[in-house]
Amino acid sequence: MKSSLAIRTAAACAILIVMHYTLRPLLGWRSSIDFLLIALVFGSVRTRPASAAVYGLVLGLAADSLALGAFGAGALAATIVGFSASWLKAVFFADNFALNTIFLFAGKWLFDLVYMLMARRMHGVEMLVQLVLWTPLAALVTALAGVVIIALLRPVYQEKAA
Amino acid sequence: MARAATLGGRLDTLVFGACIVVALVLSALPDQMREPVAGALRRTIVAPLVGLQRGAERWRAAWLESERQTLQRDSVGMQKTRVQALEVENDRLRRLLGLGNRLAWGFVPAEALHTEGRTEDVVTTLTLTAGRLAGVAQYSPVVAPEGVVGLVQTVDSRLSIAILYSHPDFRVSAMSADGAAFGIVYPHMDVTGGRLSERYLLELRNVPFRNELKIGTHIFSSGVGGVWPRGVLIGTVVGEVPEPESWSRTYLVRPAVNPAHVTSVMILMPQRAQQGVGSVWMGAPEPVPAAKAAPVIGTRRDSARGDSARDSTRRDTVRPDTTPRRP
Repeated sequence: MKSSLAIRTAAACAILIVMHYTLRPLLGWRSSIDFLLIALVFGSVRTRPASAAVYGLVLGLAADSLALGAFGAGALAATIVGFSASWLKAVFFADNFALNTIFLFAGKWLFDLVYMLMARRMHGVEMLVQLVLWTPLAALVTALAGVVIIALLRPVYQEKAA
Repeated sequence: MARAATLGGRLDTLVFGACIVVALVLSALPDQMREPVAGALRRTIVAPLVGLQRGAERWRAAWLESERQTLQRDSVGMQKTRVQALEVENDRLRRLLGLGNRLAWGFVPAEALHTEGRTEDVVTTLTLTAGRLAGVAQYSPVVAPEGVVGLVQTVDSRLSIAILYSHPDFRVSAMSADGAAFGIVYPHMDVTGGRLSERYLLELRNVPFRNELKIGTHIFSSGVGGVWPRGVLIGTVVGEVPEPESWSRTYLVRPAVNPAHVTSVMILMPQRAQQGVGSVWMGAPEPVPAAKAAPVIGTRRDSARGDSARDSTRRDTVRPDTTPRRP
């Protein structure tokens, strides 16, 4: 990745992280958009799997520092999602609407699954409802918002043809 | 090349594994060991983000509070409107009770139900919640505390339908308050579409040319014809309709009763109508203006009527109902 592209990708990720802490509380939805996950997937698919894993770990730890009693759960989930996104992107090697939607949807669902299992805050029916109802809804909202944001950012991160 | 790729792949896996181990170790640490790490992150890289989140949540709280206050204001506004409507209704009922006391006998109280129609329609009929069983008869006068409302046209056992003074078939013989000028009151039909509120005005026609009425003169029923008793307030003169080449005068009259405010009425029974109502309306308080429209006086298209002499002696009755009734 060229350095200018890396800077632009980092800037886009920073904007998404800021949106997570500004726009998300402002909207206050029950199934809200996870801008951190969009930033994670957006950044991961443009780096090597190792970098993506470290990026996920740092992002997860930063988010976990505000979550009492679940420190490390988000870091583990974000590491897995970041590495998987980067590895899968290398395998599929495509950047289209459907693939981005699937990456974001699956990424959000996987993140929530790992987080819930690690945090051990929910059990039984409550966990099932969360995984079957609320997480897919949040994943859908995140995926839709993510593809819109990625489409809007396309002029920023796409390299011009030589 | 292939070796480099393999090495890269191994490095990726190694780093990934290391990250997983770090995350697992951190999550497995006891609280007292995790908290310093989390605290350090909160004080450094997460601090600006937390500041942003705090600001966003304040904005949201302010927005929700503003919405709540708007809702409260709207509720108070609605309650105020309801109270005002109740006050108006209470006032009307009190006046109706007063009218009942003054009339003493020979009347049937009834609720007036407005037939819903298109908004631009002129209300010309009312459904009354009293019928034959209560003693209501066809052509019974319908009155309100302010004055003339209409005339019962159709009577069923428990309901009756009355035409309002705005109905094309409505007529009542009338006189000025001092009894000097007589004429026939008709609905004011000659109105263009844009001034529909004027349709609720009335016309006092066939007033002898020598009798000039001033604006503000009260017009009462004269009792000629036997349907309407003498002395029921019809309205107030608001102007004269210019009629070229005519031997009589026509005045525009603002009705004493506003049809929109008619919710409860009195139906005068035939015996009472024959025996008269005395001075029940003569000393009544000033009526509420019926039509808010300015008293714009139009030029009559049908001014050259040749039947004015016959009209002046015509009785205050209604023609057979030839217009189809609105559902």
